[in-house]
Amino acid sequence: MASALSFDHVSKSYRGAQEYRALRDDVMAGVARLARVRRPPRRVVNALDDISLDVPEGQSFALIGSNGAGKTTALKIASRIAYPTSGRVRVRGRVGALIEVGTGMHPELTGRENIQLFGRILGLSRRDVSRRFDDIVDFAAIGPAIDQPVKQFSSGMALRLGFALAAHLEPDVLLVDEAIAVGDAGFQYRCVERMSDLVREGRTLVFVSHDMSAVETLCERAVLLRDGRVALDGPARDVVHEYLLSVHASLVEQDTDGAVPGEDLEIASVALLDASGQEISEVPTGEAITIRVGYVAHRPIRRPQFSVGLTHGPAAPLSVASMLVDGRTPDVLAGAGHVDCTFEHLPLQPRTYEIWGEVRGEAGTGDLVTWQRLRRMRVTGDILGEGKSVVTHSLVYGPVRIPYHWTLPGEA
Amino acid sequence: MLEIRGGPGRISLAALRELWLFREVLAAFVVRHVKVRYKQAAVGIGWAILQPVIAAALFAVFLGRLVDVPSEGSPYLLFALAGMVAWNYFSSAAGAAIDSLVTDQALIRKVYFPREVLPLASVAAAVVDFLAALATLLVAAWLYGAAPAVQWLALPLSLLLLVLAAAAFGLGLSAVNVYYRDVRYAVPFLLQIGLFASPVVYSLSAVPEGWREPYAILNPIAAAIDGVRRVVLHHEWPDVTLTAGAFAWTLLLLLAGYTCFKRLERGFSDRI
Repeated sequence: MASALSFDHVSKSYRGAQEYRALRDDVMAGVARLARVRRPPRRVVNALDDISLDVPEGQSFALIGSNGAGKTTALKIASRIAYPTSGRVRVRGRVGALIEVGTGMHPELTGRENIQLFGRILGLSRRDVSRRFDDIVDFAAIGPAIDQPVKQFSSGMALRLGFALAAHLEPDVLLVDEAIAVGDAGFQYRCVERMSDLVREGRTLVFVSHDMSAVETLCERAVLLRDGRVALDGPARDVVHEYLLSVHASLVEQDTDGAVPGEDLEIASVALLDASGQEISEVPTGEAITIRVGYVAHRPIRRPQFSVGLTHGPAAPLSVASMLVDGRTPDVLAGAGHVDCTFEHLPLQPRTYEIWGEVRGEAGTGDLVTWQRLRRMRVTGDILGEGKSVVTHSLVYGPVRIPYHWTLPGEA
Repeated sequence: MLEIRGGPGRISLAALRELWLFREVLAAFVVRHVKVRYKQAAVGIGWAILQPVIAAALFAVFLGRLVDVPSEGSPYLLFALAGMVAWNYFSSAAGAAIDSLVTDQALIRKVYFPREVLPLASVAAAVVDFLAALATLLVAAWLYGAAPAVQWLALPLSLLLLVLAAAAFGLGLSAVNVYYRDVRYAVPFLLQIGLFASPVVYSLSAVPEGWREPYAILNPIAAAIDGVRRVVLHHEWPDVTLTAGAFAWTLLLLLAGYTCFKRLERGFSDRI
């Protein structure tokens, strides 16, 4: 298939730190050159480093990576906001780019006037804008504020208006950079819907986002950028998965001791033990695991209620062990000691999870330690090759592994 | 198929064609300028009239009355007003155009459109003020007894000369301003010098005979001011040699300004 967007050995470097140059600096540099003084070379930042990519027509494509990996630079070059230092980019068809659009609105003009102006900058004719005006206002959910100057809008309103405009463009290639991160949940949902509509109509989407679930929902393919280079290129779910694994892995290295200070009770450590009581740093999937919570009680505490939960990121746990529910509780805690909580087997996929915990007072009253993340825990294991057919990539879906079997047609 | 490469740009047919495709954007920016400019000003478009009138009145008192500068036989107030109307357009149009890229840097970082739209829109938007000021001049001339005449039809020629000159400086210097903010501070100062380097408060005929033509051609504002005075004050047609020469020179300046703009354009979003 023909490609809608292709990067051919594209590099982009910026001269470092300095915001802008005054004439003085160049004059001084010229003088130094004449006097043959050697100056330290300027710091050069390589935002993109020899990138080659090809996005076929109709593909929904994501660029992911940490801040500073070069995602926005790539979009800016594709939309002709910035130009490459070397290499070339080719684009087929009309491009609609959305790079924090709302921030370019003029504060003195009303929403209506800004729609006219921006609609035209983004490539709609006056008639197109008038025809879609009501849709745009509806989509942005601005209401009667549309006739007020944009400076009186909330920042969210201005950005919503920007996205609403762009969502009603019909470009051949739509470039979107974090533009939807600004709205409330309802607005974000509508944005994702609108973008999937455009993809279904056969338009090409290039999406830059830190919202991995939006990337997985919208995109077939993703490229992971790291320090301006292509680190990984493949199906969106695989690339997102690998990216999250690498992010979690670096987080696990950063914190593992789990200490939480507290007035009456402090948590001194959180350790992981295997079935034989050996301390371990990683947990094999499916095995038993004991979470040892070391505490220091600064005064005798009667019947404290411990809870320990496992989550895959959000505060709401996948599973929780709570003394509030099962009624097991020590009579009095005094001084240093530890409480062990054993999960008999861990039906978790190989990736990184978090251990959360809280301690409440007698009968569940009073927070001794509020519900919070204590430490991270990496679950390892190879889930491939378990059945008769071997999965050929490392992709896993969902955090929990519940044992299951199929019953196929014709089987009892 | 569009190909995006680095390196300095240049004037090309494709660039001009694209500018044409974006003419509606240019119009929208002009409308924005005019609206924003007067939205919060109580006197509104009146400022466009008051500025040259007050300046001309001051010159009339100090230079006309006290120093008695010759004014081609016309009342000095009218003579100075004719000069101010033309000069004021050039200085406000060029000044706004030179600042335009830096003022709208948020747009340059975030949206694509041909960048020359910004300085050109500033140059075009200032025409609205010019027309208001020109109308004032014509009314004043009428009140002083210079009735409307067929020569007024030549006024657009002077305006066009001013527009082209403002565009030439606006394009070239707005681009340099992105790289060297010194421009921003130097421009008001240079414009002040320009006011006295142009025949605003004195007559072109004050320039020695042999220097008059090269002076009015190399400083096209002088040719434009002289054109306005001949038409409005004296019911004459503009001088052909001066006007043709000034147009040719201004077009050269425009070519130079635009070339400079195009060469620097691709670095705007990185450097602004």
